[in-house]
Amino acid sequence: MVTVEKNAATLVISANKHLPLLARLKYMLRGIVVRLEDLWHYRELIRNLVTRDLKVRYRNSVLGVMWSLFNPLLMMMVFTLVFTVLTPHFDVPNFPVFVLCAILPWNFFSASVIGSIRSIVDNSSLVNKVYFPREILPISIVLANLVNFLVALIALFALILFFQIPLTIWVFLLPAVIAVQVIFTIGFGLIMATANVFYRDTQVIMEVVMMAWFFFTPIFYSLAILPRSYEIWGVSFDVARWVRIVNPMASIIDNYRTILYGIGQGGAPPDFYFFMRTLVTSLIVLLIGASIFYRYSRSFGEEV
Amino acid sequence: MTRPVITFENVSKEFKLSKLRVRSLQEMFVSMFKKELRGKHRFWALKEVNFTINAGETVALVGTNGSGKSTVLKLISRIIDPTLGIITVSGRLSALLELGAGFHPDLSGRENIFLNGSILGLDRKEMTKKLDAIIDFADIGEFIDVPIRNYSSGMQMRLGFSVAVHVEPQIILVDEVLAVGDYNFQLKCLNKIREMQKQGVTILFVSHDFEEIQKLCDRAIWLNRGEVMAEGSTDDIIKAFMDIYQSKEGQDSFPQSGVIPIVEQNMVTSDVGI
Ligand SMILES: Nc1ncnc2c1ncn2[C@@H]1O[C@H](COP(=O)(O)OP(=O)(O)O)[C@@H](O)[C@H]1O
Ligand SMILES: [Mg+2]
Repeated sequence: MVTVEKNAATLVISANKHLPLLARLKYMLRGIVVRLEDLWHYRELIRNLVTRDLKVRYRNSVLGVMWSLFNPLLMMMVFTLVFTVLTPHFDVPNFPVFVLCAILPWNFFSASVIGSIRSIVDNSSLVNKVYFPREILPISIVLANLVNFLVALIALFALILFFQIPLTIWVFLLPAVIAVQVIFTIGFGLIMATANVFYRDTQVIMEVVMMAWFFFTPIFYSLAILPRSYEIWGVSFDVARWVRIVNPMASIIDNYRTILYGIGQGGAPPDFYFFMRTLVTSLIVLLIGASIFYRYSRSFGEEV
Repeated sequence: MTRPVITFENVSKEFKLSKLRVRSLQEMFVSMFKKELRGKHRFWALKEVNFTINAGETVALVGTNGSGKSTVLKLISRIIDPTLGIITVSGRLSALLELGAGFHPDLSGRENIFLNGSILGLDRKEMTKKLDAIIDFADIGEFIDVPIRNYSSGMQMRLGFSVAVHVEPQIILVDEVLAVGDYNFQLKCLNKIREMQKQGVTILFVSHDFEEIQKLCDRAIWLNRGEVMAEGSTDDIIKAFMDIYQSKEGQDSFPQSGVIPIVEQNMVTSDVGI
């Protein structure tokens, strides 16, 4: 095991493969603290990378913002056309709001994941020339997309007002829901970024996976329409429950919709059990992502 | 006063051979059937390297191409990690490693100055104060607002050197980069290095220009095939080095020593290939 220890101005990097378990655990905890300190130390770099990203996106302020809204609004209109005019039996009240409050967080997730995957390889000129905590690259991608998402939320609130859907007290849960999504996204992004350094076709595969994932996530349909019991080979499945358990994004997206839209008459309380469950899942994904990333980021400098 | 700022204790570094490295799932699939692609193809670029560099020293690292000099500098700057051993570095470090100084190709020179500053831990305010001095020293004219990808290697080096020396480092690593600059700029760099020596900055210097090394460095470390061959005063080391290599008709035919690849598993050729 390789350990990093930081005392005052001295930095010791040592590799010792034969440490007892307890010592390893101690080093691991110490490692987490050191990493967090390191991130804090490099906050200026994070800010620089996030602004760079946003600068490119919003090159000329107003038009840039409109442009970043173009994709979700167009998607919203297409889905509305398909599920109201073309298939009227779908019958969801205020469909544009219904679908937009799922599309925006999904786009945030999808853009962050695709961006994170490429982040290490695309920045090879930095990674193999200077040291900085490598996790800064995927993290700043997620943060830039978060800012973008927050800007887009303004459009969603405008739409909610326009459809006269009352905002309830549950809207105050929004920051918590966003926090859970950020945790999950960073965790998942760290795993994918690492994989792409070693297997460069991860990027191509994930583009397809993200499309499939989109359909398995309640975006243009609601979790409520999924069957509560479905028979395969004589075994009955609670599909709605399993989708939530297997796919954290289903829970997250559903939470957004529940607190902002409810069943079309205004926000409602989310399912507390699943909310906590998703939070725990997201934290676990972050922990796994961070350990994988830290373990392998030591060799990024010689791999890219 | 001798305070060690860089120490290597039994540091070894093993690399994978990139030619045989699996880069995609497709290759992974193929390698499941091709035995000769399997197994570990690695070699030791550094073997149990030990040395100490004290505060304020200027040390030269000499050796033929492939002897591990750049690997040592990359280990010190934490771009790569040692396979075995302990490296201790204390103090703010800035490094100028082989071509390119860690710039983002899409950003302009000016934006890269700030990016570089933040990588070295300086905030925007501090960098703004140094901006003029950096641009002045690099002296690349209106190119400062052009994306780095349009720079020549010499221009990149000028800007890289300028940033590296203006962020007030306590340690600076310089890897064969000065040779890229034109005559005037080389002089300017050497003057700057002398100035930093006076300020007590610790300098580790890789160059093939022995005259330059003799003028600048107090001490030299000679690396050969990833091992420390000798360590001592600059004059002694260069003399010993020349003695060995000058017998072999001139500089051009320096033996391409490198490090002999150690293939750990027997390369059993098989006929299972697809
Ligand atoms: N990222 C890498 N992957 C595989 N081998 C490498 C890598 N970097 C350097 N090497 C190998 O390590 C050895 C030492 O290289 P280097 O330190 O660059 O030598 P020098 O700077 O003294 O010319 C060389 O044989 C080189 O091919
Ligand atoms: Mg070199």
